[in-house]
Amino acid sequence: MQKLYAAADAEALTDRAAQLVTAGRLGAARPLLAAAKRLAPGSIRLADISARLALRANMPDAATAEIDEAVETAPENAGLRKRRAELRWQAGDLEGAARDAAEAVVLDRTDPAAKALLGVLMLELGRTTDAVACLAEAFGSVPGNSGFAAALATAQETAGDPDAALATLLRCVEAAPGRIDPRNAAILLCVRRRDYRQAARLAEDTRRAGIADACSFGLLGHALSSLGQHIEAADAYAEALKLGPQDPYVRHLVAAAGIRPGAPRAPAEYLRAVFDGYATRFEQHLISLGYRMPGLFRAVLRQHPLIAAGERVGPVLDLGCGTGLVALAIADLPVGPLIGVDLAPRMLAEAKAKGLYDELREADVMDVLREREKPLPPLAGEAGAYPLILAADVFCYFGALADVFAAVHANLAPGGWLVCSVEELLPDRDGVIPGDNDGQWALQRQGRYAHSLAYLRDTATAAGFQVLRLDRETVRYEADSPVAGLLAVLQRVPHVG
Amino acid sequence: MSAEAALERLRAGDAPGALSLLDASSCDDGNPARHAARGMTLLDMNQPEAARTALRAAVSLGDTSPPTLLNLAIAEGRAGDLPRAHQLMEAVAEVMPDWDEPLLRLAESHRAAGDPVAAEHAYRRVLELNARREEALIALAGLLIARAEGSEARLLLLRCIGIAPGRAEAWAALGLALLLTAEPALAHTALTEAQRLEPEVAEYALHGIEAARVAGTADAELARLALASDVAPLNPVPLLARGILLERLGRRDEAIDALEAAAILAPDEVLPAKMLASVLARSHRLRDAEAALRRASELDPDDPWLRNNHGTVLMRMHQHAKARGVLLELIETHGEDPLVLCNLANATACLGLQEEAVGVARRAIELAPDAGLPRRALCNTLPYQDGITGATMLAALRDCAARLPRTGLGRFGNDRDPERKLTIGLLSGTLKTHPVGWLTVAGIETLDPARFGVICLAQNAALTDPIARRFRTAAQEWIDVDAMDDVTLATRARELGIDVLIDLGGYGDAARMAACAHRLAPVQVKWVGMQNHSSGLPEIDWFITDRWETPPELEHVYSERLLRLPDGYVCYSPPGYAPDVGPLPALANTCVTFGCFNNLAKVTPRVIATWAEVLRRVPGSKLVLKTHQFHDRPTADRVRTAFADAEIAADRVELRGSSPHRAFMGEYGQIDIVLDPFPYSGGLTTCEALWMGVPTVTLPGELFASRHSMSHLSNVGLDDWVARDAADYVALAVAKAADLAGLAALRAGLRPRVKASPLCNAPRFGRNLGAALRHAWREWCAA
Repeated sequence: MQKLYAAADAEALTDRAAQLVTAGRLGAARPLLAAAKRLAPGSIRLADISARLALRANMPDAATAEIDEAVETAPENAGLRKRRAELRWQAGDLEGAARDAAEAVVLDRTDPAAKALLGVLMLELGRTTDAVACLAEAFGSVPGNSGFAAALATAQETAGDPDAALATLLRCVEAAPGRIDPRNAAILLCVRRRDYRQAARLAEDTRRAGIADACSFGLLGHALSSLGQHIEAADAYAEALKLGPQDPYVRHLVAAAGIRPGAPRAPAEYLRAVFDGYATRFEQHLISLGYRMPGLFRAVLRQHPLIAAGERVGPVLDLGCGTGLVALAIADLPVGPLIGVDLAPRMLAEAKAKGLYDELREADVMDVLREREKPLPPLAGEAGAYPLILAADVFCYFGALADVFAAVHANLAPGGWLVCSVEELLPDRDGVIPGDNDGQWALQRQGRYAHSLAYLRDTATAAGFQVLRLDRETVRYEADSPVAGLLAVLQRVPHVG
Repeated sequence: MSAEAALERLRAGDAPGALSLLDASSCDDGNPARHAARGMTLLDMNQPEAARTALRAAVSLGDTSPPTLLNLAIAEGRAGDLPRAHQLMEAVAEVMPDWDEPLLRLAESHRAAGDPVAAEHAYRRVLELNARREEALIALAGLLIARAEGSEARLLLLRCIGIAPGRAEAWAALGLALLLTAEPALAHTALTEAQRLEPEVAEYALHGIEAARVAGTADAELARLALASDVAPLNPVPLLARGILLERLGRRDEAIDALEAAAILAPDEVLPAKMLASVLARSHRLRDAEAALRRASELDPDDPWLRNNHGTVLMRMHQHAKARGVLLELIETHGEDPLVLCNLANATACLGLQEEAVGVARRAIELAPDAGLPRRALCNTLPYQDGITGATMLAALRDCAARLPRTGLGRFGNDRDPERKLTIGLLSGTLKTHPVGWLTVAGIETLDPARFGVICLAQNAALTDPIARRFRTAAQEWIDVDAMDDVTLATRARELGIDVLIDLGGYGDAARMAACAHRLAPVQVKWVGMQNHSSGLPEIDWFITDRWETPPELEHVYSERLLRLPDGYVCYSPPGYAPDVGPLPALANTCVTFGCFNNLAKVTPRVIATWAEVLRRVPGSKLVLKTHQFHDRPTADRVRTAFADAEIAADRVELRGSSPHRAFMGEYGQIDIVLDPFPYSGGLTTCEALWMGVPTVTLPGELFASRHSMSHLSNVGLDDWVARDAADYVALAVAKAADLAGLAALRAGLRPRVKASPLCNAPRFGRNLGAALRHAWREWCAA
């Protein structure tokens, strides 16, 4: 009977385990690490490798005892301090992590990684100036390190100096021309600053450097489209789609550019990606665009018979609440409790900061509406029914509206109101209604859907609503031109008798 | 007494000590006990002839005691005289009818000699004398298990375990018996006990995972094995077993992790290295598989399977010279084997030794005339052979197809509505970054989704490959078929309701065209993917081609009906990272640079002679050849010598190895004119050259594979680059090289021209492909 025996020594096992952790092969590293520990108990190096493994596995607690013991045994070991800082950071102990990182910097003043780590932790702790200082030192000694560059650029942007941030990223591109992440970070920064020309230039440089990346091509498309170069944008989107055919973000952008037949609604991943990258600047952006919807909603609600009579209406569902602009506009009206629903966690964080919502849910609008059977929250009046549902500029992420209208209808109490807005689908310069849905709705280049007035009216009626109001309104201004929209007040037909 | 002292040492396990003690007292030659002791000692030291001499001496001096006679019998048997051994054992048994030892020895001797019937009889006699004799219980049970008689074996083993609960082998055998009596859960328990008793025995653990699998408790077994590793981290066996079980469950990455850990832990053991190598090879992690196979071959140099697999993995890594070396050495040490010869034929062809490759394939056919693989090897080498005709090729393909196994899977029940939405199946091992991917993906993406649904039947799936992702997105379903044999694959395809099956693999690596002989769909079509010529397979109904690839006068060398697309037969999807087209290099170099970036398999001696003639006729011109095979120095030297023999100065021919795709395309920036090889022309390579602004001089022949460049050039309106014969090829190259202004103008406008041509017009191609598939379908409906 053949027996198998281990023959490798502790050092060989330790070396291989370390290599495997580096390669992310945790399943192979784990048993070798256990075997090495059996052969060399108490080894500092093994404790460090265990900690690296725990970090990669996102289980910081698994290595805590071991690393604490190792730090006690070798308090002057800068590497162990750095490692513990990472573990503590992952476990959510920012202060502890910063102490360890600072200790690591003191123990080894030449280590840029320790400085970078300390810098990132400072940024997390909100100490922006310290963060910039630490990260600038780290990046200065290794300008080709894209991780350092990204962290420094973020710190600089947070400190209100986007020019410096861009300079950092471009310096990294110069030092490490083959790396894609600093290039994309620079392009994205330009897009966020609405410097589309620079964004397109950088994306084009990336292509010329032989880097084919879905994100760069997607951003190139975005930039070109914003510059009005729609044909070139379509080419860029097509390239992005070849490289990231399953990426819902890319697919939606491409559908918006008219290359692929559009889906009936925007994918949740797209909305989350767009709005999460956007949250902190969202309001500023909308206000700068002359966003009018919150004010229009307020005006409409003041005409609600109960609200006008000073009676409280609630609970109220605010679909696609975003950062809470509508809540802000209606804060003094007798409505509530107010429940906000949005997909993007960072948007919700902004909304939460306003303190106007009784509940905020990170969820897809349709998922929430379909929870009809298990009503949330428990209601005082008629079970499972809201007297008021708000949907400001959220149906522009739906193409066909029949399903969402039916779902809203089911969630409304008899007599309840849906107040909603959409962008209006208008004929183009040649008098042709765009899109291929009989002129009812179409996906536009910006990634949003527009709907015709007749379609909105007919679909609402078919869903069982009575149209109390349907007005043409200007949603906002883009490049000083008004963007046409529709504001609707739809009522679920009250019980008769 | 020296004899007794010696036996004392022998019992203490010190046979050499016992022997030296006996040798030291050589004065006592007349003492039979000393001879008997010497015989027993030598038997223990596995020197049966010497032992026999000593024991015979003891007997002849009067020691006829049963132990001495029995030892003599054992020595006779081991020295090769089985009849004498058995006769002596029977004699001792007769003298001592209550002693079970001689019968046990007799049984073991029969078993070792491969006579299970006699062995079983003898074991039963042992048990009649001594029902508690453990060795007999276990061994007899083993014989019964080998005959698949689980019930009696089970009883014997339960008795044995009652007597000796600490015997791991009894528990293990009980496990096997219980598997036979369809009690897998109990079997697993027994095998687990065997592992607890002897945790280092790999076999117990391997049977254990099998029992768990049958019992449907594989997940629990995985957890148990993980726990066993935690308890005994230095034991490689639980890791090995877990790895194998994970592989069986299709969890390959985890399997590789566990097996690699086992192999690192036990670097001197063959089994972990071998298992790791085979899983890595199946997972297409070729570099790692190659290292593991090399290591396993070192540990077990006599295993031809390991060395043949090593050769095939090297081939898949495009290290054909090394592969050929490994295979030639294997043939040297183990003799000619048809399978090894098939691999050798392919490796040889890839090195540009076309005639030799065809010879090796024909030798494999001689050795195994009824086998399919050698015929496949011939079909894969013939298209590269100089002077090959369409008729010869078709005959070889038909010979190969005739030897494929066929199972009557019945008629198809697909709804014969000619206009309904069709399910198209793509069968291929190369739905990824590969010529097949570059030339088909855009066409598949642009099939009208309202009229065609696509199912990918993929071998060798590459999860993260960018083109594979495009196929996945375009398809409604993606099915990995690696683990399915041909009949299972055909059955599955029928269950999926595939209407039109397109083979995109032919007889290539990881291809499954052979499964088409069982018919996967009512309509079967051959398209790109080792589409070097007709399939020769009667079950392939249609062949996608175009008017340049298959003109009417060549129709007779095809076995299929033709679906001639109105433009080219493929649609090229150029990569976004391709560098921009630069100016004509000849303008700066003041000399013309010809180039050929095709695989060396396509470069025959006649091609080299023709290129040499072009170089002679265009003074100062240069030729750049670029292919991965030139990383092998002897191969590069051979090609250099061939040009030197044709009196071309060494500095006029530059040989380059492979490079990453973008750099590869960028090197067309240094080429003015591409010279196509023949009879096997460039396919994707010609498209890429066109995209980079470089036209190709080509010489089409009769084979489909010889006309790819002609098709692509004609499709972009460059049919003036097609030669009639070799002399015309030279004249054409010379004439084009003389017109630098024309070349520069052509180059400057070539990319937009190609982009606007049908070659890259995906929507147009998708419509044409859809129409062709619809036509094939309507024909079946009407039949």
